[in-house]
Amino acid sequence: MNGFATILPVIFPIIAGVALLPVKFKNRKQREAWVLSITIINTIFALYAIYFAEAGVVTLFHFSERLSLTLHVDGLSKVFGTMVSILWVITTVYAFEYMTHEGREDKFFAFFTMTYGVVLGVAFSGNFLTMYLFYEFLTLATLPLVMHAMDDKARHAGKTYIFYMMFGAALAFIAFVFLYCYGDGLEFVYGGVLNRQLVAGNEYTLQIVFLAAFFGFGVKAAVLPFYRWLPKASVAPTPVTALLHAVAVVKSGVFAIVRLIYFSFGTEFLIGSWAQSVILIAAAITIVFGSTLALRMPHIKRRFAYSTISNLSYIVFGAALMTPAGLTAGLLHMIYHAVIKITLFFTAGAILYKTHREYLYEVEGFGRLMPITFLSMALTGVSLVGVPPFAGFHSKWALATAAVQSGNPVAYIGIFALIISAVLTALYIFYIIVRAYFPRKKEYPKGYYEHVSDPNYYMTVPLVVLTIITVVIGLFPSNLLSILEKVATGII
Amino acid sequence: MEKNIVLPLLVFFPMVAAVLSYLIGRKNKEARNIWVSIVTFLVMIGTFMLVGKDASYSLPGFCSLGLSFEGDGLRVILAIVTSSIWFITTLFSKEYFTHFCNRNRYYFFMLMTLGATLGVFLSGDLYTTLIFFEIMSFTSFVLVIHEEKESTIRAAKSYLGVAIIGGLVTLMGLFLMYHMAGTLNIDALAEFMAAQEDKRAFYAVGVLILFGFAAKAGIFPLHTWLPESYPAAPAPATALLSCVLSKAGIFGVLVLSCKIFLHDANWGGFILFLGVITMVLGAVLAVFSVNLKRTLACSSMSQIGFIVVAIGMQGLLGSHNALAAGGTILHVINHSLLKLVLFLSAGVVYMNLQKLNLNEIRGWGKDKPLLKISFLMAVLGIGGIPFWNGYISKTMIHESIVEYIEILHEAGLATGYMQTVEWLFLFSGGLTLAYMTKIFVALFVEKNPYAEGNSKNIHEPYMSKLSAILLIVCAVILPVIGVVPHMTADKIADASYHFMGAHAPEHAVHFFAWINLKGAVISVVIGALVYFLFIRKVLMVKDHNGNLVYVDRWPVGLNLENKIYRPALLSWLPFIGAFFARLAASLTDGFISILRMLIFNDDTGRVVPPEDQYFSTYADSDDDEEVYGEGFAKSLLMIGIGLAVAMLYILF
Repeated sequence: MNGFATILPVIFPIIAGVALLPVKFKNRKQREAWVLSITIINTIFALYAIYFAEAGVVTLFHFSERLSLTLHVDGLSKVFGTMVSILWVITTVYAFEYMTHEGREDKFFAFFTMTYGVVLGVAFSGNFLTMYLFYEFLTLATLPLVMHAMDDKARHAGKTYIFYMMFGAALAFIAFVFLYCYGDGLEFVYGGVLNRQLVAGNEYTLQIVFLAAFFGFGVKAAVLPFYRWLPKASVAPTPVTALLHAVAVVKSGVFAIVRLIYFSFGTEFLIGSWAQSVILIAAAITIVFGSTLALRMPHIKRRFAYSTISNLSYIVFGAALMTPAGLTAGLLHMIYHAVIKITLFFTAGAILYKTHREYLYEVEGFGRLMPITFLSMALTGVSLVGVPPFAGFHSKWALATAAVQSGNPVAYIGIFALIISAVLTALYIFYIIVRAYFPRKKEYPKGYYEHVSDPNYYMTVPLVVLTIITVVIGLFPSNLLSILEKVATGII
Repeated sequence: MEKNIVLPLLVFFPMVAAVLSYLIGRKNKEARNIWVSIVTFLVMIGTFMLVGKDASYSLPGFCSLGLSFEGDGLRVILAIVTSSIWFITTLFSKEYFTHFCNRNRYYFFMLMTLGATLGVFLSGDLYTTLIFFEIMSFTSFVLVIHEEKESTIRAAKSYLGVAIIGGLVTLMGLFLMYHMAGTLNIDALAEFMAAQEDKRAFYAVGVLILFGFAAKAGIFPLHTWLPESYPAAPAPATALLSCVLSKAGIFGVLVLSCKIFLHDANWGGFILFLGVITMVLGAVLAVFSVNLKRTLACSSMSQIGFIVVAIGMQGLLGSHNALAAGGTILHVINHSLLKLVLFLSAGVVYMNLQKLNLNEIRGWGKDKPLLKISFLMAVLGIGGIPFWNGYISKTMIHESIVEYIEILHEAGLATGYMQTVEWLFLFSGGLTLAYMTKIFVALFVEKNPYAEGNSKNIHEPYMSKLSAILLIVCAVILPVIGVVPHMTADKIADASYHFMGAHAPEHAVHFFAWINLKGAVISVVIGALVYFLFIRKVLMVKDHNGNLVYVDRWPVGLNLENKIYRPALLSWLPFIGAFFARLAASLTDGFISILRMLIFNDDTGRVVPPEDQYFSTYADSDDDEEVYGEGFAKSLLMIGIGLAVAMLYILF
């Protein structure tokens, strides 16, 4: 029964999503009721599985003695699973209103619901094979969402998306084979599964394989040089960019990297090696790179997309330090960034939805006309910048502290990157906020301020809720930190 | 140390009250004004309640590292100055802002800034200091940008930029400090540093931490925002910026110099160097300025330089630093009080004329004795004339320099550079008098040859009774401190010695003995010379009607911000950044275009739907061979070859 509780939140939305595909709803209200109840029920399932079921390892399917599909909810799964299941409900509510202007909602919500299950599948996976499977599913399930608009731009984005993803998964597959050969099994065990006797003499090969897998999963985490798909995918409808490209998909990539480093190869094997230096430097470069490009993007959503690239590498950087403190800091930033970025995308979506404006210079002076939207943007933006005492500050502080504590000389490059990126973040965020509240001109052409007002409560309520969450977890991070520390040291 | 709930209340109550004031303000403007006045009054009472109690309070876990507050001598004095000045400017704001928009926003951020500033002054560890310092920077930005004119927005953006960069550099320093010392508690840091033999590694960290605080205080070379932002903000906000917020920067410098680098001669010398440049440069800029508020802003910078010189002297003098320590705190307070009167007066001028250029406001105050006398009190005070408050603190700082020269002399060391410092000190004092005389004469003594528009409505009062009373009260305090320094100034200094690691001097300073008066006399002579020979001869020219007018002779090119900082931050660095970003991006693009060349086919002369460019091509001829050679099949062939090669590699 407990095993079933773990499987349910993964399977239920997939089945429900498939079932929704052929259904033609009579009207919007009916569909909203169905989709919302499925989402809420599944969130309850997920939270039950995470906090109460304690099912241990649940085997879904045996291929052979050493290959099987298993689900296992451990500490890391709990963190990721909780984050996803809470944000999913909020996004669904937001999507109801937003999607009214995108059309073909039946199809959209079917795939959207399916994706929920797949992401939880990634979170709950008990071994490398299962994670790999759900990881691939995630690409497929989200492709229709990315290509939703089905115009030239969307199709192009979709193609780029799938090429990159397949390429990444192929690289990750190499690691799967090698882990199978050189490990004691494929299960996720804190500290890694490599067998010392088998590894002896083959360290160099395995480090190359590790790098291949890192960059393979790094495709979803948008680590340089495989970031191109992400800004392109910002053509997708806002709920998709918000949830998938700030939370679910990209964080799955990060999650997989954490699994790879801490639970498959093990930090003992990797720490201090040249492979660690390579990934630290890759993360540091991506951090600065993302922020630099974000500053140059006049398109609001794309600016946030590049900001996501930068921030994902903060998390990767934390994980790449290969110390418990580094992982704690990385996970903290993962949670903060998820909440902050989803809010920022929502605000960009609210502007787009109400006014069809997409560029920075088109939203000057909107601050006062869309008070809730821009207040959310200001508060979460300030949090992203890392102005104390708001959220981003703690995670950046923790990251920098962990970097120094690790004693790795390469990590100092990362601290430098963090500081530069912090300045750039401040610039690219404040640029929007200052322009919105303090327009440069006194007069704007006629019709400029038409339709500029806050959207209805379907969109404002999620914004307000998320902003409150951001502020609260920013002001009181101690409990969160102590949980994450336990996760990062393998206690839960 | 007793636990005292008043400390966190002082910080958080104004922040909560800010939200309330916004809500009240949406319904009723008058009620909001009253509410804001009550809040600032209560906060003022609260700070007075801390006197003599060595209070502390900590909130562990809040913002991960926890906050801690302390209320010892110096902190309480600074808090009292802050809250009193806030109360006075709030009362004054009511009249000043009558014709402004967005007053709700102003009051909201003003109260937020109050809480944050008190948080800085009452902080017990540097982490708390930084948190509130950052909040203060951001909330005060809204005060600076309040008028939303083009020049205001530009100035406010510089302000924000400096705040962000300064804050981050300081954060970096703190973070290194935390790593090295394992704590950020100010007293624990002092103990830790006292135990260190070799402090060289800490100097770099100290400079990093100093950066943000120095930027806020307006210390050279981070002063560039100051002469732009102060005049841009509304007068009550400028008063707050100059009287209080700059002191938050000074507080940071004090923590560094009196706790972390206590009695450290190297550090003291460095701070002294910065202080001297700031002091002289600010005074020179003020002499050249032709805008009332700009002159006062540059004057603020110069006076901050005096304070920093005193802090530097504390380090150089080591344990004999009572004079320098007393001079520091007294000049902090004196400057706050003086600038309050000056900026409020400037506010009265602007409120009536909407102008600040000396040529335009000339002679406006001729027939306004009340304003004239208040202003005169502040002029005499800031000029360091005996029997006014500025004289007391300047004398103490001057004495400390003289004392150090004697120490050097006894030790047989070269005294040349310290004598230069002494002369520069007296010279800046002279310039202070000169530029203050310039604006005083312009505003209150001279006749304006073009004064048609300015003298109308002569029968209406030019300020409300409330503002007049405030101005008088503030102006009267100045000579009172100056006349009876042993009853006022010495008490304040005594309370602060503990924080600054100093002991009360063995004998009381004879402020009105000839040896001390001599410095003032030299300054007055220099001031008179500069005023009559330079300002009246060089900085004023006859216009086409034969009237003397003020001209701005400061060379336009001589502007650090426009010539170096802005281009560096806005053009050079982004260019370099973008260049490398492009380079990094093209790595992927290059990789992909090679793959495309190998796998796909997009050559011309075929029917290619634009969106399907890279998926497939459709041959427009039925030449099988061509299609086979160029089309999708080629790709398959390539993959096949690749697989074969891989097979061969594995086999052999």
